[in-house]
Amino acid sequence: MNESALKELWKTTNEKLEESLTINRKNTEEITRIKVQGFLSSMKPIKIFTLLVGIIWVGLGAIVLSHIYIYAFSEANKFFLFSATVQIVLTAIALWMYLYQLIKIYEVNSYDPILETQEKLVQLRISTLRSARILLLQLPVWTTFWWNETMLTDWNLFQWIMTLIVTISFTFASVWLFFNIKYENRNKKWFQVIFNGNEWTPLMKSMELLEQVEEYKLKD
Amino acid sequence: MNKQEQFFKEIIERHKGILFKVARVYCPNENDRQDLIQEMMIQIWQSVHKYNDQFKISTWLYRISLNVAISFYRKNTTRVNRFTVLNEQTTEILIEDKAETEQQLNLLEQFISELKELDKALILLYLEDKNHTEIAEILGLSVSNVGTKVGRIKEKLKTRFSQLTP
Repeated sequence: MNESALKELWKTTNEKLEESLTINRKNTEEITRIKVQGFLSSMKPIKIFTLLVGIIWVGLGAIVLSHIYIYAFSEANKFFLFSATVQIVLTAIALWMYLYQLIKIYEVNSYDPILETQEKLVQLRISTLRSARILLLQLPVWTTFWWNETMLTDWNLFQWIMTLIVTISFTFASVWLFFNIKYENRNKKWFQVIFNGNEWTPLMKSMELLEQVEEYKLKD
Repeated sequence: MNKQEQFFKEIIERHKGILFKVARVYCPNENDRQDLIQEMMIQIWQSVHKYNDQFKISTWLYRISLNVAISFYRKNTTRVNRFTVLNEQTTEILIEDKAETEQQLNLLEQFISELKELDKALILLYLEDKNHTEIAEILGLSVSNVGTKVGRIKEKLKTRFSQLTP
């Protein structure tokens, strides 16, 4: 089939398509009543909820911890204080990165060239991985919250070995994941196991699209 | 009716074909297609106040509708899975049953549905008879690169037709 025959063929279907799909005038009217969306109204309720929960968690944590640092530092369990501080600081960083990513996605113009727009969008979606990596760094401190000074005097060797095994493995896992969760490892099996499931599908699809964008740019 | 509203209604009425064609390429399922068109219209309405007349209105509309369609495709994998293309066996049955134009059309649609997102945009613009400069403007590629890529897709298309047509 030659080029013009192909285009002719395509045109015949366009005619059919216009017949089968109509744009309802009422629908157009309704769209013109939609106000230009601000940042918050453009967000899905689940994202607003996640952000609110995160802000409340970090806010309350910061208030409690600063109170302990200022008024009760000498009596406080230092293991708890250290673990909680690391947890709150890392959550605050991840939260900030998540919010920044949402603002940047909101700022992307859909009328810019396809490659430019899609590259910006997928890069931003992939940056979700950075928030996940930061959050994973908290893993070890969840094993040290409950430590206290009596451990040093009362514990036997077995208790020490078990506790250290847990903490060291969590530390190793979190550091390893921090350095290895990245776009370059998207095709590795362990990566696909971790990021398997509907909630990660847009991220995985974004990665596939980024491959296409890179391929297009490579030959440009 | 204010100016913006009037402009929006005019462009939708005059250029609705662009929206239909893009939706058709990215969304073979008719039920979802209306949703996609609605999403494109909302995005056009949200951007209409920023329209810059240095661009042809069709270039501007193609950019918005393609960007929305590609993002829609990415977000809705469950829908995408329902777009499952006809396999070769089904195609063969169709070839026996339908008129020649219809058969060729099925092959063309099957071929397009198998392409990756960006290649779909390219083939659509090519079939719509856009010149390389306009395709380059819409996609954000150099004109020479558009030529190379269009050539490559045309070649694939030819091979496909020669393999499947009796």
